[in-house]
Amino acid sequence: MSAADQDTVDQDWDEGNPERLYVIARGRSPLAAHTTFDLVTLIISRSQPTPTMQPEHAAILRICGSPLSVAEVSAYLRLPASLVTVLLADLHAEKRIEVRAPIPKAALPARSLLEAVIHGLQRL
Amino acid sequence: MLRAGSSPGSRLATAVLVCLTPAVVMAATGVLAASAASPGTRTGIVWCGLVGAAGAVVETLRRRHAVAVVREQCARQEQELLRRLARQEAGMVELARVALPEAIARLQRGDFPDDVLTAFETTDTVAGPEFHQARLAVLRAVLEAVDNEEGMRESAQRAFVNIARRVQAIVHRQAVDLRAMEDRHGTDPAVFEDLLRLDHGNALVGRLADSIAVLGGARPGRQWNAAVPLYSVLRGGMSRILDYTRVELHPVSDVAIVGPAVEPLIHALAELLDNATRYSPPQTRVHLTAVEVQTGIAIEIEDGGLSLGEEGRARAERMLHEAQAGLDLNDLGETPRLGLAVVGRLAHAYGFQVSLRPSAYGGVRAVLIVPQHLITTAPATGRAHGLGGMASESRPAPGTAMPSTAGPRRQGPATAPVPAARSSHRPLPRATAESEPAGPDAVPVVGDRTPNGLPQRRRHAAPSRAGAPTRAQVREPAPEPVQPGMWLAAFHDGVNGRAPSTATGGGHTSEESPGKGEQ
Repeated sequence: MSAADQDTVDQDWDEGNPERLYVIARGRSPLAAHTTFDLVTLIISRSQPTPTMQPEHAAILRICGSPLSVAEVSAYLRLPASLVTVLLADLHAEKRIEVRAPIPKAALPARSLLEAVIHGLQRL
Repeated sequence: MLRAGSSPGSRLATAVLVCLTPAVVMAATGVLAASAASPGTRTGIVWCGLVGAAGAVVETLRRRHAVAVVREQCARQEQELLRRLARQEAGMVELARVALPEAIARLQRGDFPDDVLTAFETTDTVAGPEFHQARLAVLRAVLEAVDNEEGMRESAQRAFVNIARRVQAIVHRQAVDLRAMEDRHGTDPAVFEDLLRLDHGNALVGRLADSIAVLGGARPGRQWNAAVPLYSVLRGGMSRILDYTRVELHPVSDVAIVGPAVEPLIHALAELLDNATRYSPPQTRVHLTAVEVQTGIAIEIEDGGLSLGEEGRARAERMLHEAQAGLDLNDLGETPRLGLAVVGRLAHAYGFQVSLRPSAYGGVRAVLIVPQHLITTAPATGRAHGLGGMASESRPAPGTAMPSTAGPRRQGPATAPVPAARSSHRPLPRATAESEPAGPDAVPVVGDRTPNGLPQRRRHAAPSRAGAPTRAQVREPAPEPVQPGMWLAAFHDGVNGRAPSTATGGGHTSEESPGKGEQ
């Protein structure tokens, strides 16, 4: 391989991160965690991060001071949602986060009804 | 002739005897002849006898002188020959003990055979020109043979490195692709899991290619310009071994490794971790820790496997130290030897200190010390999952304050620095709402990067609440996809008649909303 090729390879390789995602997941399957969490499950942290935690766990606890959906956590951490669910399952098992399933659409009253109630209340 | 070993005195006597014998014989013959002859002829005979005796003496002396001269010449010649022989012997010894090793050493250092030969031509020629020529011929023959051998070895090595480089390039491309796929299929756990497995296998192939490249004298695969946090480096090492789940990574101090040393360190750690996991029972854990020491950072890898005997340990350490010799093709077959040779090479090139000691767990405790000059305490600019990634974002903190290393480096649209107070994030969305007169309907997109294809937005409920002091805004809640829970919380706020326009009210509602949502 010529020196020029070498350089292009090196430049090309300068991006990225030494860690691979499976190490962050520590080899656990995202399938098991998937049953508890989906993209719109709301996460609220219930404890402060401790220094001995995996950094991703600590980061989740930090940003979930107010409720965030799994999708949002995934976007903020720049990690795929399936991986985030694995991490969340850890925290959930340790009872460090509160998991709130989104209210199903069917259980919500119709929007027009709610608006009517609001209007009525405000007119009081 | 003289007998050897006779004393000088007896030699002189013998010489005199030898000299005088012909003269004496002549004289005796003369006397006999004279006594036998008649008185008339006696005088003549006596004269003849005298002359004969004198002639014999003279002749004897002359010959003796000639013999002495010849003998002296012989002695000189013999001396000369002996001296030459000694010089040739010395020359041979010098050739064998000094010249050849030195010439080969110079050749191995990279000198050309001709240069080496000319350097050895200037030595003295006292042993004879022929001998000198022969000596040079021997040198030339050996050097050429060695040079050929070296050339072949080098070309083999180059070929290996070349192939390794190409494999590395493919592996890297595949790793990038896999990461992109992992992001793309992140929401499908089954596909994601398979991708992780492929990714892992890919990393193992990459490590093997890296090892061959290192043994071939090249650098390990990639180069990192920015410093990388030590934690990421350790996990990077873990990610390249088969049994990474058995490695227990303990918390490490908050330092970073300078860019050029990142890849070698990752690779050396991967090899040591691989050895540790390979030679310990599958159910045991391997502990990976890093502590700060006076000379730098000591990274310890401890396994609970078989203890390395003193002999085995000595052999392993010798292997670490002898790794500079280059790529031995025999090594490629044996994994542990390959691994330790790689570690030894990297340690030599980058100044790591590696030692193998018996572990308190019964196995081996490998300690790798990273020297101080390869460590930086400055916040690493290299992106680490969870930590650096957050730091490099322009997003204001949605919840509590960011870690101290992150800091508010770049301000987002809401430029207020984030105090650490819990409710402090409430005013931020309002500031955004003011700067964007589109009202609560406009989704305040703060982070522009959406690597996962996921919406990068701030929570929507807060602006609608905080920026809704008028009825019109209450009557027109955000028609955008609002999270149901938040929407309900806002509704409760409206119902309870809270004044959501104030910051304290906003903070209060955030305390309330979970409770309401649970009802």
